[in-house]
Amino acid sequence: MKIKKGPSTIIFNIICYTLLVIGSIVCVVPFILIISGSFTDNATILLEGYSLLPRDFTLDAYKTIFKAPQDILQAYKMTFYYTILGTALGLMMITLTAYVISRKEFKYRNTISFLIYFTSIFGGGTIPWYLMYASVLGLKGSTIAIWFPALMSPFLVILMRTFMVGSVPDAITESAKIDGAGHVTIFLKIVMPVLGPGLATIGLFLALGYWNDWYRSSMFSTDSSTWELQFYLYDMLNATNALKQMSQNSSIPTSDLPTQAVKLAMAVVATGPVLLVYPFVQKYFVSGITVGAVKG
Amino acid sequence: MKSVAKSRGKSRLACIEEIRMGKKLGVWIMIAVSAVSLLLTLPWLNWIQIVNADALYETLGVTEANLPMLKSAYNVFNVLSFVQYGNAGMIGLFAMIVLILAVVAVYFELALIIKVLRNKKSKKGDLGLYGTAEASMLFQIILIAVTIGFVIFSNSKFGMTGFILSPIVYLLLIFNIAGFAIVKKMQLTERALYHEHGLWKELKKNWVLFLMLVPAFIYFLINNYLPMIGVYYAFTNFNFRDGLWASPFVGLRNFEYLVKADLFRLTRNTVLYNIVFIALGNILPIIFAIFVSQVNIKWFKKTSQTLMFMPYFVSFVILKVIVYNVFEYEYGVINNLITSLGGEKIDFYNTPSYWPLLITIFYIWKNIGYNMVVYLATIMGIDAELYDAAKVDGANIFQQIRYITLPQLKPTFIILLLYALGSIMKGQFELFYQMVGNNGVLYNITDIIDTYVYRIATTQPLNIGLGTAAGLYQSVFGFILIVVVNWLVKRKNPEYALF
Repeated sequence: MKIKKGPSTIIFNIICYTLLVIGSIVCVVPFILIISGSFTDNATILLEGYSLLPRDFTLDAYKTIFKAPQDILQAYKMTFYYTILGTALGLMMITLTAYVISRKEFKYRNTISFLIYFTSIFGGGTIPWYLMYASVLGLKGSTIAIWFPALMSPFLVILMRTFMVGSVPDAITESAKIDGAGHVTIFLKIVMPVLGPGLATIGLFLALGYWNDWYRSSMFSTDSSTWELQFYLYDMLNATNALKQMSQNSSIPTSDLPTQAVKLAMAVVATGPVLLVYPFVQKYFVSGITVGAVKG
Repeated sequence: MKSVAKSRGKSRLACIEEIRMGKKLGVWIMIAVSAVSLLLTLPWLNWIQIVNADALYETLGVTEANLPMLKSAYNVFNVLSFVQYGNAGMIGLFAMIVLILAVVAVYFELALIIKVLRNKKSKKGDLGLYGTAEASMLFQIILIAVTIGFVIFSNSKFGMTGFILSPIVYLLLIFNIAGFAIVKKMQLTERALYHEHGLWKELKKNWVLFLMLVPAFIYFLINNYLPMIGVYYAFTNFNFRDGLWASPFVGLRNFEYLVKADLFRLTRNTVLYNIVFIALGNILPIIFAIFVSQVNIKWFKKTSQTLMFMPYFVSFVILKVIVYNVFEYEYGVINNLITSLGGEKIDFYNTPSYWPLLITIFYIWKNIGYNMVVYLATIMGIDAELYDAAKVDGANIFQQIRYITLPQLKPTFIILLLYALGSIMKGQFELFYQMVGNNGVLYNITDIIDTYVYRIATTQPLNIGLGTAAGLYQSVFGFILIVVVNWLVKRKNPEYALF
C-alpha cells in the first residue's frame, strides 16, 4: 500500500529532521568542546576561548598528564578493581535473588520482593547510612566501603526477575522439576544458559555505575590511593579552583597548577573508555530500559 | 479446641459443627486478648515506676530546671520524655525501640479487632485473620519482653535500681502467651484445611532458595535496614565524645531548628525543581521519541538516538567540567562568544538567577536519551494496523500522532509520572552538587535537601543530629507521598498502582 505524501507529511518531516539534528548537536557539542580543548594549547584557550576544532593542535596536555602517571594510573587501577569486583559479585547476588523471587512455588516471594522494593521508598537517610559504614563497621578508608554499597539495587533485582520470567517459560522448569531437578540444577542448567542478554544488560548497568561513581570516594576514602577515577578528576578540578583563589593574593605560583587544557585532557582520559565502548553496548541498555518500561 | 485429626470417627456434620464452634470460641479468645492488651498498653496505664527518685536524679545529674518535667511513673509511650529531661541519653535508643514496638503492637491489635468486626471472608478462609492475631500477640509479647529488658538495661546503666515494672505487665505477658498458643493451634487446623504450611516447613522444603537469599539478606540488612535504626540520631544532640548511642536526647529540637532555619527553602527548592524536571523531562522525550519513530532513514534514526543517549553515560564530574568551561567568567565559551560579539561578560557563578534555568537545561541534557528510549519502546509496541487504518481514512501525520500515538503513550506517561511524584522529595543530588558545588552564593536558590545533608556529612563541624533530621523529614514525607499517591491511584485504576 503506497500512499502519496501529503503536504502535512512534508512539513512534519522538515520539523522532525531539523529538531533531531539540533537535539543531537546539542547533546554532542559539549563532548567535542572538551576533546578539542584538550588538544589545544593552553595559552590559546585563555586568549581566544574554545573552538569546535583545535586551533593550535598540541599534545602538551596529555604529555603533562603522563609525565607523572603514578596517581592517575593508581586511580585507573582502583576503578578497574572496583568495577570488575563489584560487577561480578553484584551480578551474582542479583541473579540469585531474582531467581528466588521468580519461583512461583516459593511461599515468601511476595514478602521478599516487598522488602526489597521497600528500601527504594523508605530509608534512614544519608547520615545513618554513612555512620553505619564509617563508625559501626569501621570501614572508613577501606576499599570495601567503596564497592559494597553499590552491589545491588531494587531496580536491578526487579529488572533481572523480569528478564528471567520472560526468557524461561514456567513449563520448562516445571517439567525439569518433575524429572527430579533441584533448584541448583534448574538455576545453573536451565535459567543461566538463556539469561545472556539479561546478564549483559544488568552487568553493564552495574559497571557503568561503578565507573562513574565519585560519591563513595568522597565519603569513605581517607587517602588518594583508594580514589575512584572520577573522584580523582573531581579533586583536581576543585583543588585548582581553591588554589587559584588563594594565589590571587598570595605568592603561590600559578604555573604549577594543572592548566585548563590539562583538566580537559584528564576528563577525556577518565571518560574515554565509556565513550569508546558505548556504541557497541548501547543496545543492551536500550533493551534493559525497554524491558523495565514495559513491565514497570 | 479440637483438631481435625481428633474429630475423626465422628459423623462429618458433627465434625464440621465442632470446628465451627471451636472457631467461634477461638475468635472470642483472640478478641478478648487483643482488647485487654490494647487497654493495658495505651498511655493511661503506667508500666514503669520510678523508685529512689532523688538518688536516681542525682546519679544522672538532672538539672534543677528539668525537675518539674519528671514524673513518678511512665508508660511505654512517654518514657522518652524521661530520657530527655532525665539526662539519660544512654537508654534513649532502647526507649525509642520500645516506643516503636508499642506502636506496632497497638496497630496490629486494632487491625485484628477491625478485621473481626468486618467479618470478611477471603479465599483462604480465616488464615488472614489468624495471621493478624498471631502478629498482634507476638508483638505484644516482644514489646513486654523488650520492656523488661529495657528496665534491666536501664538499671544496670544507672548503676542502681531506678525503674521497676508494674506487676500487671507480667500478667499481660502470660495472658498473651496463652492467646498465642491458642491461635497457633487454630491456625494448624485451618492450614490443614487449605493445604498451607508455615515458615518451618517451607524452610525444610526450599532451604536452597533461602540459602540463595543469604547474600541479598546481608546486603540489604547492612546497606538499608540497619541504617534505619540510625534515624534515632535525629532526636539527639549527637557528639562523638558520648558516642553513637549515648549522646543527649533532645526530642524534636533538631526539627524545630530545621523548621526555623532552612526547611521551607529546602522543600521549596526540591519540590519546584522536581516539578519542572518531571514536566519537561517527560514532554521533551515524548516529542523526540515520536520524531525518532517517524524517521525512515535507518542510519539517521540510529545516529540521532545514539547521540542523544550519550550524555546519560558520562559521570556528573564530566558534567561539571562541561558546565565550568562553558560558563566560566574569563574564558568560558559563552563569555567568549559575548565578547567577540562586543557584549558585556556575564558572571554566571556569582549570579543566582541564572541557575534554575541552567540546572534544568543540564538535567534535560543528561536524561533526555533515557526517557526517550522508554517512550520509544512504547511507540514500537503500538499496533501498526492502527496507523494503516488511519492512513486509509485519510488522517494526516499530525492527526495520527494526536489520535493514535499520544493516547497509546498515556499509560507509560502516567506510570512514569506516578514514580516521579512519589519521589518528588528526592533531589537530583549529583546534578546539583556537581553544578553548584560549594558555591555559597548560589545556595539560596539551588540548595536541595540532599545537598544540604551532604554538606553536613562532609564539612566540619559535623552536625549529625540536624543532618539526620533533614534526611528523616525527607524520607518520611516522601514515603507518605508515595503511599497516598498509590492509594489514590489504586482506587481509580488498579492497573497503574505501583504496589
